[in-house]
Amino acid sequence: MENEAHSRAMALALSFMALIWISPFAWLILNAFDPAATGRLAIPQGVTLGNFAQAMSGNAGRQFLNSVYIAAGTATLTVIVGIAAAYPLSRLKIPGRNAFLWALVVMRMLPSIGVLVPMYFVSQSMGLLNNYGVVLALTILNLPFTLLLLKNFFDTVPVELEEAAYVEGASLWHIVTRIVLPLSRAGIAVVWFFTFTGAWNEFLLPLIFSRTEQGFPMSVGLYAAFGQNGAIQYGFLAAYSIIYAAPAVGVYFLLRRNMNTGFAGVGVKG
Amino acid sequence: MLKRNLMATVAAVAMAAASVIPAHAEITFMYATWLSGLVEPGVANFEKATGETVNAIKLPDQGYDQRVALDLSAGTAADVVLMDSFMVSELASAGYLHPLDELAGKWDQYQYYLKGLIEVGSYDGKVYSLPTDTDVRMLWYNKANFTKAGIAMPWEPKSWADVLDAAQKLKDAGVEYAFQLPAGTKQGEATTMQGFYMALLGADVPEGDRNRLRDRTSGKWIGDSPGIRKTLQLYHDVYVGKQLTAPDLNYATDIGASVREAMANNTIGILASGSWEDACLWDCTGANVPSREERDALVGWTPWPGSGDPGTNATTNISGGWAVGVNEKAADKDTAFKLVEAIFDKANFEAWTIANHRMGVRTDISESPEYTADAYLAKATALAATTTGRDTVPGYQTVSALIQQATADILDGGSVDDVVKEYHDALVDEFGADAVEVYQ
Amino acid sequence: MAMKNQINPWLASNVWLLVLGMLPAFLLLAALIYFTAWAFSFSFTDLELVGRKSVNWSWVGFENYVRLWTRKGFLDALWTTVIFTFFSAIVGQSVLGFLLAGTLRTTKSNLRSFIEVAIMLGWLLPDIVAAFLWSATTSQTGLINNLIITPLGFKPVNFISEFALPVVTIANIWKGTAWSYLLFSAALDSVSREVVEAAKVDGATPFQRIWLVILPIIRPHIATNMLFITIWTFTYFPLIYALTGGGPGRQSETLAIFMYKQSFGTGKLGYGSAISVAMLLIVGALSLIYLRLLREPK
Repeated sequence: MENEAHSRAMALALSFMALIWISPFAWLILNAFDPAATGRLAIPQGVTLGNFAQAMSGNAGRQFLNSVYIAAGTATLTVIVGIAAAYPLSRLKIPGRNAFLWALVVMRMLPSIGVLVPMYFVSQSMGLLNNYGVVLALTILNLPFTLLLLKNFFDTVPVELEEAAYVEGASLWHIVTRIVLPLSRAGIAVVWFFTFTGAWNEFLLPLIFSRTEQGFPMSVGLYAAFGQNGAIQYGFLAAYSIIYAAPAVGVYFLLRRNMNTGFAGVGVKG
Repeated sequence: MLKRNLMATVAAVAMAAASVIPAHAEITFMYATWLSGLVEPGVANFEKATGETVNAIKLPDQGYDQRVALDLSAGTAADVVLMDSFMVSELASAGYLHPLDELAGKWDQYQYYLKGLIEVGSYDGKVYSLPTDTDVRMLWYNKANFTKAGIAMPWEPKSWADVLDAAQKLKDAGVEYAFQLPAGTKQGEATTMQGFYMALLGADVPEGDRNRLRDRTSGKWIGDSPGIRKTLQLYHDVYVGKQLTAPDLNYATDIGASVREAMANNTIGILASGSWEDACLWDCTGANVPSREERDALVGWTPWPGSGDPGTNATTNISGGWAVGVNEKAADKDTAFKLVEAIFDKANFEAWTIANHRMGVRTDISESPEYTADAYLAKATALAATTTGRDTVPGYQTVSALIQQATADILDGGSVDDVVKEYHDALVDEFGADAVEVYQ
Repeated sequence: MAMKNQINPWLASNVWLLVLGMLPAFLLLAALIYFTAWAFSFSFTDLELVGRKSVNWSWVGFENYVRLWTRKGFLDALWTTVIFTFFSAIVGQSVLGFLLAGTLRTTKSNLRSFIEVAIMLGWLLPDIVAAFLWSATTSQTGLINNLIITPLGFKPVNFISEFALPVVTIANIWKGTAWSYLLFSAALDSVSREVVEAAKVDGATPFQRIWLVILPIIRPHIATNMLFITIWTFTYFPLIYALTGGGPGRQSETLAIFMYKQSFGTGKLGYGSAISVAMLLIVGALSLIYLRLLREPK
């Protein structure tokens, strides 16, 4: 009985915390449905879906596809390249590999605007000032994190399972695709999702790289709210950002089951 | 000293690669969202008239300056480029922009541009850009709060002491932002232009450019002067000494909206800003602006007074604006300039100028009946007669950023002595001791 | 142990295939190192964003690094960053994430989903929009003043003016706790129930169970989390910039904001690079401490 009271108090405390946590969203909701949104925190005079209609008109479809292309493309490319390198790094006892991976991760903290200028010039000389270039640049920037995380996931796959498969005559390809990848499926989902959200939110690279408006993703399209003469269209901004965040939240729930177990393998083995 | 022309080397490699791609016949154009009302009809007219297609890219205001700089230095910029006028000299000095004297000379509407504004877009005696608009700066005040504080209107301060006195009365009457004087780095150019420079121009006598950031005769930046010290002291009085104003509006997420809201809620007393506020205090797009009578009942404005010291300017003013230039790498500069002409063609330009309460940059517009019919524009334009421009020589952007930082350091409680020394040393770091001078 | 160091046979026969697999990653990493080296070498130049020095720049040796010490800005920003990182990332995100992960494990799934959505939305919202939410929450006419301060009869508090650093710290906790929560909830999944039960039987108090049993087991996760959130928080820029711009004055100016202002406000890319390199060295040193945390106690 005491335990029940305890857990009820706990649930109450948690609900209270959740309430505090979501209260800043009041601004977002109020402005998104306000036909005359001003960016203030005020109860709207009426309710409209017009802001959402506006947020989905014009280039929005194109921008959504570009976002999907950049985010999914970056995540997928990063994960494939990462797997191909992380498995050998996990299994071959190359001296200094951990120090190397940690150093790369720390090196990555040079802000991406720091490497933007050289990246821009190289991309230009290779004809990559487009969304291919954005995907490639983001893949390069994400690879250190990905490698470290993936290697740790592969480290937790028991080597005995691979040994058994080998004894039964399985090839390396079989061992990797039938044993290692399925067992670290959850970890791969985690890494994929992190890369995905990072690329989904990237603003500066696509802005600088794209030569046409057609190439802009939603993260750039958001700034259409900061419209003519510097006045901000708050209704559009709020509605657009809900539409903007929704796909990533959806992807999260699709992956949630995988992720919750997948995170167990994140720890670094020194 | 080892010098390498890194950017040029890379650009050369890039051009070798680019030359493989067949040249585009179309004209390219890049612009920031906020000016779409002016440029989009102009582009449409150009396409209709010439049959050419314009490959225009509309970019968010956010990050626009960076993109212009990067694109021009990498040779990937559009043929025609819109930019903030303070960038023109920097870009021209690096050889990225094409001089327009010859092309503009052949255009019949070029003669109407105001001389002073053409100079802002010039470098080394050559014209590199044409202005889109200009502005004047003044002190706006909230009439309800002035009534509450018992200050006579129309308010006509003759010195800084008058302004501080009024602000003190406003503060005593409970006005939170008694004197909203743009400060700090987040306001960017607004701090330099609407705040610091407006004060500096009246802080000391104009002789020898003692009231400026740069001595235009010697070509040196002024690292320390009584004028700079007095201006910083003004900031100190407003934000630290007399605490006339809370600093947060300078750091708001959307500064314009916050100022608008504060004015609407009667929490601002005096606002140092510019001519655009005639619309922007309600709605910058000009769509939901109340009638002239209603606006006049709510707010008034007065020119910025000088400090009141002997020999200083009675009132001050400084003007900025945006400009359109042609890329030095544009393949067909004649056609590129034709696009510039179409954007600035009188009918299009005038319609935009009046609809958006902008100040005319050409006499054929500012003397037109539609423009002069607007009493506010006419009165504000009168201020432009004695205006001056920024020190738009290469390096201005850095100096301006250092000034913004200096005001931020004052806000942080730094002493005027320390802040001036920091500013002076930073100037020397940047330009060398030979390029910095000191006025006693 | 000797056996472990030998290459397993299915790997030995495919060494070249494995090397081939690593090749694309290493090419891309080489590109990253190349770009980073470039940024690194910028820090020894007076390169600028626009103007003459963007074309005709020159080597200036260690001048930019000397200025980190002799000119105002860097040391103040470093201190601000340390406070910001410590409270928002290490204390806030990490501890809160851990507590949430611990309590939500035994919570009903509806409430759990609700809280997960709440913290996940904060995480996924664009930074600029998050800044609007927080300025609307903390402004004088905002949520906290309207719902709490004014009804209680106090004068509205101007939070950004008076408590800029605490506001951005809390906003960052709000925005970033999701990662620590996910990491720790999964880490706790990996702690076997038997071990905890055994400790209970031995008479360990709840505190002892956490401190002596659970924390040592998830030590590697703690270290990874520390490294990642330290890096992210050190370099985190958009939310603070949009919310306060580093102000008032320099009150919330972290190194990332200082670097941005020097690189793009003032246009000094060379100096900006020197700031980034210094940040990198500092976090590099911190990560050595975290690496020690990984070592099993003897």
